[in-house]
Order: sequence, then C-alpha cells, then structure tokens
Amino acid sequence: MQGKYRLGIDAGGTFTDFILAEYPGKIHLFKAPSSPQDGTIAISNGLAQISAALGVPVETIIGEADLYINGTTVALNALIEKKGVKVGLLCTAGHEDSMEIRLGHKEEGFRYDADYPPAFMLVPRRLRVPVNERVLSDGSVRQAMDEDEVRAAAELFRREGVESVAVSFLWSVANPAHELRAAEILREMLPGVFICTGCEVYPQIREYTRTSTTVVNAYLSPVMGRYVSHIDEYFEKIGARHPVRYFQSNGGLAVGGTMRTRAVNAINSGPASAPQAGLFVARPFGIDNVITVDMGGTSFDITLTRNGQTNLNKNVDFLRYRIGVPMIQVETLGAGGGSIARINELGMLEVGPESAGAMPGPVCYGKGGVKPTVTDANLVLGYLNPDRILGGSIRLNREAAIEAIRRDVADPLGISVEKAAHGISTIVNINMVNGIRRVSIERGYDPRDFALICAGGAAGMHICALADEMGIDTVLVPKVASGLCAFGQIISDMKYTYLASLPMRLDGVYGEQADVMARLTARFAELEEQGRTALMSDGFSDGEIEFRRSVELRYLGQVHECTVEVPAGPLNRDRIHAILTAFHRRYEDLYTYSEPHSPVELVNLEVTAIGHVSKPRLPDLPVGDREAGAALTGRRPALFGGDADWQATPVYDGAKMVGGNHVAGPAIIEEATTNVVLLPGWQATLHVSGTYLLTRTGSAAAARAQQADAVPA
Amino acid sequence: MSTAPKSRGPVDPITLAVVRGALETAQREMTVTLEKTGRSSVFNLAHDYSNALFDANPEMILQGQDIPIHMGSLIPAMKAVSAFFGEDINEGDVIYHNDPAYAGSHIIDCCMYKPVFYQGELVFWTVCKGHLTDIGGPVPAGYNPNATEIYAEGLRIPPVKLWDKGRRREDVINLLLTNMRARRDQEGDLNAQFGACRVGERNLIALLDKYGIDTVRACIEELKSMADRQMRSLIASVPDGSYTGTAVLEDAGHGFGEMEISATITIKADTCHVAIKSPPQIPYFINSYAGNSMSGIYLGLMMFAQLPPPYNEGLYRCVTVDLGDHGTLCNAKEPAPHVNCTTTPMETLTDAVRLAFEKAAPERVSASWGHASGINIAGRDPRTGDEYVTMVLASIISGAGATQAMDGWHSRGPLCCFGALTSGDVELLEHSYPIIVHRYGLIPDSGGAGRYRGGSGTDWEVEPIGHDMTVVAFGEGRQIPTQGTAGARNALLDPKLGRITITRADGSREEHVKNLITTIRPGERVRNRNPGGGGYGNPFTRPAEAVALDVRDGLVTVEAARVEYGVVIDPLTFAVDAPATQALRTAAA
Repeated sequence: MQGKYRLGIDAGGTFTDFILAEYPGKIHLFKAPSSPQDGTIAISNGLAQISAALGVPVETIIGEADLYINGTTVALNALIEKKGVKVGLLCTAGHEDSMEIRLGHKEEGFRYDADYPPAFMLVPRRLRVPVNERVLSDGSVRQAMDEDEVRAAAELFRREGVESVAVSFLWSVANPAHELRAAEILREMLPGVFICTGCEVYPQIREYTRTSTTVVNAYLSPVMGRYVSHIDEYFEKIGARHPVRYFQSNGGLAVGGTMRTRAVNAINSGPASAPQAGLFVARPFGIDNVITVDMGGTSFDITLTRNGQTNLNKNVDFLRYRIGVPMIQVETLGAGGGSIARINELGMLEVGPESAGAMPGPVCYGKGGVKPTVTDANLVLGYLNPDRILGGSIRLNREAAIEAIRRDVADPLGISVEKAAHGISTIVNINMVNGIRRVSIERGYDPRDFALICAGGAAGMHICALADEMGIDTVLVPKVASGLCAFGQIISDMKYTYLASLPMRLDGVYGEQADVMARLTARFAELEEQGRTALMSDGFSDGEIEFRRSVELRYLGQVHECTVEVPAGPLNRDRIHAILTAFHRRYEDLYTYSEPHSPVELVNLEVTAIGHVSKPRLPDLPVGDREAGAALTGRRPALFGGDADWQATPVYDGAKMVGGNHVAGPAIIEEATTNVVLLPGWQATLHVSGTYLLTRTGSAAAARAQQADAVPA
Repeated sequence: MSTAPKSRGPVDPITLAVVRGALETAQREMTVTLEKTGRSSVFNLAHDYSNALFDANPEMILQGQDIPIHMGSLIPAMKAVSAFFGEDINEGDVIYHNDPAYAGSHIIDCCMYKPVFYQGELVFWTVCKGHLTDIGGPVPAGYNPNATEIYAEGLRIPPVKLWDKGRRREDVINLLLTNMRARRDQEGDLNAQFGACRVGERNLIALLDKYGIDTVRACIEELKSMADRQMRSLIASVPDGSYTGTAVLEDAGHGFGEMEISATITIKADTCHVAIKSPPQIPYFINSYAGNSMSGIYLGLMMFAQLPPPYNEGLYRCVTVDLGDHGTLCNAKEPAPHVNCTTTPMETLTDAVRLAFEKAAPERVSASWGHASGINIAGRDPRTGDEYVTMVLASIISGAGATQAMDGWHSRGPLCCFGALTSGDVELLEHSYPIIVHRYGLIPDSGGAGRYRGGSGTDWEVEPIGHDMTVVAFGEGRQIPTQGTAGARNALLDPKLGRITITRADGSREEHVKNLITTIRPGERVRNRNPGGGGYGNPFTRPAEAVALDVRDGLVTVEAARVEYGVVIDPLTFAVDAPATQALRTAAA
C-alpha cells in the first residue's frame, strides 16, 4: 500500500540528508546539520524545512507517508569514539585473550611508534572470564560446562556494573548448547543486561572472528537500542503509523527490534545504501554494473555492484576490529573537498587524509581555513563558481585560495599556481583511483565494464577525470547526487541474512551423493524458513518475500573461500555441477589460474531473505530537444591541463535544462547542490529520469547514447 | 630529520606518485593472492611469505611490508639467480630456488622469480618467497636439530626453471614435489606463488602500457634515489664514529655453550659500515649463510631508522656490510646445517646491530622483541588417513619491545617477523589438523619490567586427537631474557623466558629449555611459552596506577608489582598502598 510520501533520512557526520518522495512525481532533497547528541534534533529541523517548503504540516507528511527510513552513524561513531557500553566476555577457558592477540598481527610493516598504539580493547582483560567447557570441531562435547563458573562470572559482571555480555565459546558453531545455556543463566541472573552469543550473531567457523563480532555487537547494541527507542518514540509522537525502518550495513532495512540486538549489523549503515541508489539510477540505461563514488567534505566512499548484485564482504577488519557479518563493501578513504594539500618531508605533494572539514573549511570559504584544499584548487581551476555556492550564501574568495596554493604548494615545488592547483586535483584523483582499484581490479573486476555513479557534493568536479584514469566511458550523475545515500534508502527492501556452516566435499562423486544434495537442500530450506518467519512478523506476505542463496567454496586445504550464487529449488546433480564450474571460473578470474582437478570443499551457506517494498514512482523531466542553449548562463575560464591552457568554458544552469538536452565538453553544469565538470572529450545528455549520462566522445558508450537520444519514449 | 631533502629528479612529481602507488598495488595484490589461494596453514593462516618487485638490473624496486627475515636476503638472492641464468632468461620463464648457497634464507623458504617482459625486453621481476610446510629430509617440516650437515636437512634447490618459455616443466615440478611430505599442500602453495607472480606481472604490464617504459623507469630511479636520500640524511645525523653492540646467544641444545655475536657500525658522514664478528660455525642447525644474515642486519637497521616508505634497494646504498670470516656462524659455508637460521642466530644478530645503533643514537632506542621459540607438528590425520605436517605459527608469538613512549604490544613477535605474521584462527587449526588447542593466551609477568613495560608473550598448548604426533621444538629465548633498555631490569626472570612443557599421559611433566624432537600421544600435551618483549627505562619510575591496572588485568602479578616495580598493591581491592610503595621506591633509589 503506497501512501503519499516516503521519507529517507541519512544522518551523516556533518549533515543529515533528507529525501522526500512525493507521489505521484516529485523528489525533494533537504539538508540539516547533524545532531550527534540527539538524532531527533536534526530530524526535527529537517522536517520543519520540508514542511515549510511543501506548505504541509509535519504530522500530515508523516501520517501520509508509507515508510520512514533512517540510515545512522550512531554505531559507527560509538565505535570510532569508543563510546560503547561496559562489556563482559564469557569465553572458553584458555582462550580469553584471542581478541587481544588479534592473530599476532601488526597491520603496518616496519612501523612501530607511540602514534600507532595497539587496538583499543573493547573488553578489558579483567572482564574476559574463562569458563571450563569444551566442544570439539565435530560438535562433540569434550568437557561439560561448569555452570557454577558461569554463575560466578555473572556475580563479577554485576559487581563491575557490566551493561552487556558477549558469550563466545570455541566451536559453538558446531554445537551451540553451552553458549545457549550460559546465556540463559546470565539472563536469569542479570536482568536488564544485554546478552548475546557467538552462535547467534555470527554462526560460522573462525573463533577469533566470531568472538570479535560478538564483542563489537555487545559493545554497540545498548547504544543503538537507546537511539532506536528515542527515534521510534519521536516518530510515534509525530503521528507515525508504521515502525521506522533502519538501514543496515548489508544494504537492507530492519525494524528497531532487530537493530537493538544486532547493532553490529548496522555499523556502516549510511554508505551501504549507495549500491541500491546506483542501480536505480542506472536502470533506465540498461546498466547493472555500477561503481558508486561518494565524495563529500572529508571522505570518499566507493562501492561496486556487479550484475545487479551488491558486493558483500565478510570477515574483514573494520576500524581495527574483525567483523564477520556481511557488510556492503564500502572502501572509505580520506579524500574530499576539504582534503588538505601539503609537501611532505620527501618533497612530494600529498593531498589528504587530513581535512579542513566544515570548520575551518577550505581557505576560499573565508571561515578561518589557511591550508589549501581540494575545493580551493577546484575554485582556482575555474570549476566552481565564486558567486554561486551553497545557494549563493557564501561568496568564495579565489584570491585567498591562490595565495594559499602558491605558498604551500607552488613555491616549494618551484611550479606555477595553475600547475600546482591542477596537481592537487590530480593527486586527489589518484588517491580516489587507487581506492577504486582496491574494490575493482584487486577483486578481479575490470572497471571498464562498469558505469561510474556520481554521489556527494564534490564528486561531480572529479568524475570525468576518475573515469579517464580508470578507462571507464560511461558516467551517470543524478540530480540528487549530493543526497544519493538517503535516496538509496527509500528504494531499498527489508533484508535479513542467515548464515550456516556445513563443511563437506563437493567435487566428483562427493557432490553426487544423494545425502549431500539432501542435506544442502534441507539446510537452505531451514534458513529460508527463518527468514520467512521474521519477514512475516514484520508484516510481509508470501508474495513479497524473495530468497537469494549462495555457497562459499574453496579448494580442500585452503581457508579462504570464493562465493558462488545458487539458484532456487532443490539441489540436483546439474546444479552442483554448475556451482563447481562457476567456482573454478571465478577463481581463475581472480588469481590467474584454477585447479579443476583438485578437491573442492563447501564451507558456508548463506540465505538472504528479502521483503520487497514497493518502489516510489519517480517524476519524469519535461522533454526538449538536443539544444541546451536556453540553460547557458555564460562562460568562465577553466583549466583542464597543467599547462596554463585556460579555456573559456560554457556554464549551464542545470535547473533550466530539460530531458534530451545535450552538452559537449568542456563545459560546466551547475546544479543546486553539485557541479558537473565535463572535461574536453566528454559529452553529457540529460535523461528524463533526472540523470546526466556522460560519455567519452567517440567511445562505444557515446554511440549507444546517441542512438538512445530519442529518449523520451 | 632536520633538513628535508627535496625531490629534484627529472620526473614529473605527479606521475611519480602514480607510479609509486601502482607498484605498491601490484605488490599488495600479490600478497592478497597468496593469502586467498595458499594451501598450507603456513601460507593461508600465518602469512609466512613475502613479495617484492625488481627491475632488470636486478635491483629491488619495492620491498613489500611482509616478513623482514625474507626481505633482506631477496636482494642478493635475486642477483645470484639472475647471474646463474645469465642470458638464458626468456619470456614465459618461471624460476624456483631455495638454496642458501645462492643467498636463499633457509631451504624451507622457497622463492619464485618471474621475469616480466615488455615488447620483448626484460623489464621487471615479480618475486614471491614463502615458507613451505615441508622440504623433505629426515624430519618433517624441515627443522632437524640432529643434522650436522646441510645435506641432512632437506632438498636444496639451486636456481631451476619450473616454466621454460611458457612451458610448465612437469618433470622438474614432479621431482621437487616427490621429495616433499604432504605433497598436495606443497603443490597448492607452489600454484599460489605462481598466481601471485602472475598477478604482479599483470599489474606491471598495465603500468607500462599506460605510461611507457621510459617514464616508468625514470620514476623508479627517482624512487630509489629518494630512499637513498632518506637513509643518508638519517645516517648523517648520527655522530661519526665506531659503535659496537654485542649480544649473547644461548645454547639451545648444541652443547657448544653460549656464543657472542658482535656488530660494529662505523658512521662516516652519510655512510654506514656494518662489520659482524661471530664464532666459527658449528655442526648444529643455527648457522646463517650470507643471504639470511643480510636480513638480520637490515632489520636491525630499519628498527633504528623507522623510515616511512618507499622501501627499496636505495635504502641500503649507503650501507656496506662485512659479515666476518667465511665459515663463521653469521657467514656460514657448506656444509653447515642452517634451517633454524631465520630465527636463531638471526635475532641475536639483529640485537647486536640494534645495540650498536643504540650506542650511536641513544635517543632513538627501543627495547628488543621476544625471540622465536616454536613448534612444528606432524603425523597422520585419523579423519582422512592423510599425512600432515606444519609449522604452528600460533606457537611462536612473543611479546614486542617497549619504546620510550609506549608499552610493548602484546603478542606481536617474534622479532624476526616484526608483526607481519598472523597466527591463524584456533578453529581453523583444529579444522585443518587433528589437534585440540587447549590454550592460547598471554602470560602474566612475561613482559620485561620497565617504565614502559614490554609486551606479553604467549602460552600455547596442544594435544593430538586419535594419533601419535611428532613434535619438533626449535628456536631459543628460553635461557636469556629479551633485552630491555635505558635502565630496564627484571627481577622475576622465570616468567620472562620461553619454556617447553610436555605433560605425559601419567601426569608427569617434562620441562625443556633446549630444542627437541619427541612424539606425544592422545591424552598428552605439549605446551610452549614464548618470551615477552623487553622493557624501557627504570621500572621503579613506572606510574603506580599503570602498574595497578596491569595487576587488575592479570598481566602483572602482585608479587611482580612489588619486586619489579616497587609498587605495593592490595590483592583484593587492587588499590595502591602509597606509603609502602613510596618506602620501597625510596629504598631502591
């Protein structure tokens, strides 16, 4: 049932973005300063803006909305700032230090200094309590659990004022009985204390990963719980008719009750919606391979989505903590408009990761910043309009930007200011390109098979250069680029992930045994049933529920797996064979060789249960012809190379462009919250869906765009 | 560094940054490939492998941030391998090698070298060295304390082509694998190395396609010069003179008694000469051939230098080395047995170099890290009937040293790996091998006492399931504690030393401080305790509250707080008894 509105709220570090879809056909984008102390303040301010802009009371908007979705950095910030709760860990005796030993690894090679201390321990050693119990790898109980020790631990936790307990025993993934019983005892003895177990939070092999994930969950869940309660209450108060949905790191929505007990699933809540948004933007163009790049003031977030399937990572280090549960792979680096340029000790130009942020900001903002930033370079290069930023409220000071670049970059290097500004732009581009390589080439994907989707306020000025560096010839810049993550939230589905561990040989005769196929089929069915139950209790009907299945395989003896999709239905001989073939192929793509005759082991199963949410219908732009002259506002000098070759570059007002309008580079298109710099050799066409299609002149993509130019069908 | 050297090369600084990033990416992707595809636990859990890129000279143009013991020896090894084949290096060749006579480290570390050709010309080498789990010979896993000659240790592989002009030489590969236990693991790891070399090659060719060979070469020359300038500028800041450090190597079972290794560094302007003196080689597996000794010296240098990247051969241009007489412990000659050399005597050699630099530049000093004392296991897995063999890296993790501003990290050693290893997940170990890991934790009082405390060592205990298990213990650090510095001193020695304990089925216990080979049965256990890191500064000046916190966390006992730190702590409340502490500390002053 679709209401009149749908609201997406993405609470970022500096700004909270609001996307309001108004049916049947408008998308509104608003921004309000974030309020980390109390998330409802930013929401209330944003809603007030929306209400004023639409001339409709907040209660009416909320009452007539079909969904309100919140992406939040609450868990992320608590982890970064170490503001989670006091946690106790109950673990198998002899193994209480695994989270501190961290597999004995130091991340940074030769580096060893006081500015690089060991990772902060979320549970101090005195609160890591051993219990005598032991399950073996086959699930058998070697030593029964000493329940008195569990009770003694509960007493200790009570005395110490612990607010949350993680229970993580060896091989609970093979036999959860001890963990579950320990949790039961703790719940009886410690009412009001949050308890979670490894076998529930991350039911897969790898004790260190499971313990670490469970501890992070215990550390963050009470914080998330308080946040969710507060937001839920606020929405009830203003007339919400449905529960608020929250965005998880796996790219799907969840209700507050889930968030309260699985905060670890929402650590990277915000940027995880980028792939959905990217796919949505690309769909009218028939594209389902997308790389989204979100460049704001301080950070640059990259996601990669292939064949319409978002890219989930498991068992990775996030902020120095090992996290097992699937998270949309978001590569984040310190590159944004506020990134500071400097000459390092070796005489090399560096840009970022240090950022001038919102305060003091770039030099040209005139708010006290003195160090040259990427935004300053963009202004010097003519990409930014000094009179037209942030809705014209700040006039940018180009002279100050020039001076800062001269002093800190050009003079020390003995080069011109123009060359220095272009160098700053180039270096930040290279940093971003290296990040894109990490999610694409390093994972075996050729970036040239992808369209680049532009997100965040600053990306539009770099997007063509990034595409050039990566050899990508299709770029999409949606008008809502600067709020793309909030937009992604309102078009996302409910999504719960279920994991199971089921080690077995799959090659040759092994995979053809009836009981292997039956066990796999049954285990998948079990996981699907869990998903169906959860989604039905969230109000979904059978017809709205979909399942996606995958298995993780490896060559026998390896410990890292490759993921292969599994089609629906019972597993038979042909399907097993197809899975194996896909595995060998994927392996060869990644690592240049495969071993088709070596034994293959299946390790894990995964089921994603999706509750489909109706997608908002979006407005079409009015349609015009190719000629965009009506939107031309003038020309200004801009520099696209390092050699002082200033070009009088046409500037277009995006708000005045209509569907089908065509612009050839070099050109600059100014939108309300972003600027698109079209480099020489690039062209842009505005699609009726509100997205600029940028292609490199002469490329195959440009030819396709030309054919599709009679777009408004 | 006071005066920053500036880039004055002919290369556009922007392109230089791009090329540097591309080289690092190529190397990192090689490392990722090995981790994901490695077949033995030493590869896929422990990351006991290293990757590097060389140019055609061949000079190392990118030293990966992998295992220090591998890296230094790669420089002479690459040159020896290239010289061996001379003109006979062709597109599609892949060369393999482990022999210390050609500057290999120890024979269990097998190294793959792939020449990268571009438009018919040799431009680069991608190089990947990894620790296999077996290399043949009488003792599984290669560490044979009874060997008196290198011939009794395992298979020596002088430079040999595994692929010749693109053709895989099944005969040669079969010869190698036939000589190794757990063949499938070794074959899988060899494939992984091949994948890594090719992934590196794929990246380098893309780089050449993009920027052209001349530009890339010019950038690489500049990167080498940059590293050279950094090191020279640092050396120039050290006062001219000669400084000697001497470290003592314990007798880990050979019967020749303690031995001294000394390093004399002579600083003259921006150059540094390192001269090593060590006793004559002995018929025991702790002799170090030249390649491996270079690794030890370079690690001591880099611990002192703490320079930022780029890391390449340019770093060592201003450094000359004299390893001492041929036929000595640190400059061994055939037929000296050597397999333990990457830890023993390498870590003592590193300590000697570190101590010499400590005298030259006391303001840059940090304490030493725990030395390696490890366990190899082998047997037949009753679940599959297959034979297994591996070095257990989880058994080897010692504590890191304290610095003048930081407590040592717990469990980041041994010194020779400097934190680059990973010890492997306990469940994955129990999944891969028929064992129960009863314990893997930090050891109280193991960190060296100091104003800054050394990191704790680890305690690892294992039992075989359903079969008899061969256990080989190697290394040292069981008699001489890790070196502290700047006034650090230990009162309780026992917990700071490594120790092997075997608990027999009848409950009897054997404690060992020397290397051994033995067999244990189900119901029996072997336990290995690793030393902690050295402390920094006088422990009696460590803030009492910091000591109390360590006591609360069980890292330091009440007893050690009193005798090592002069801090009196109530064992029930963990409160500091200030007057008693004051009295103790005053009395000691």
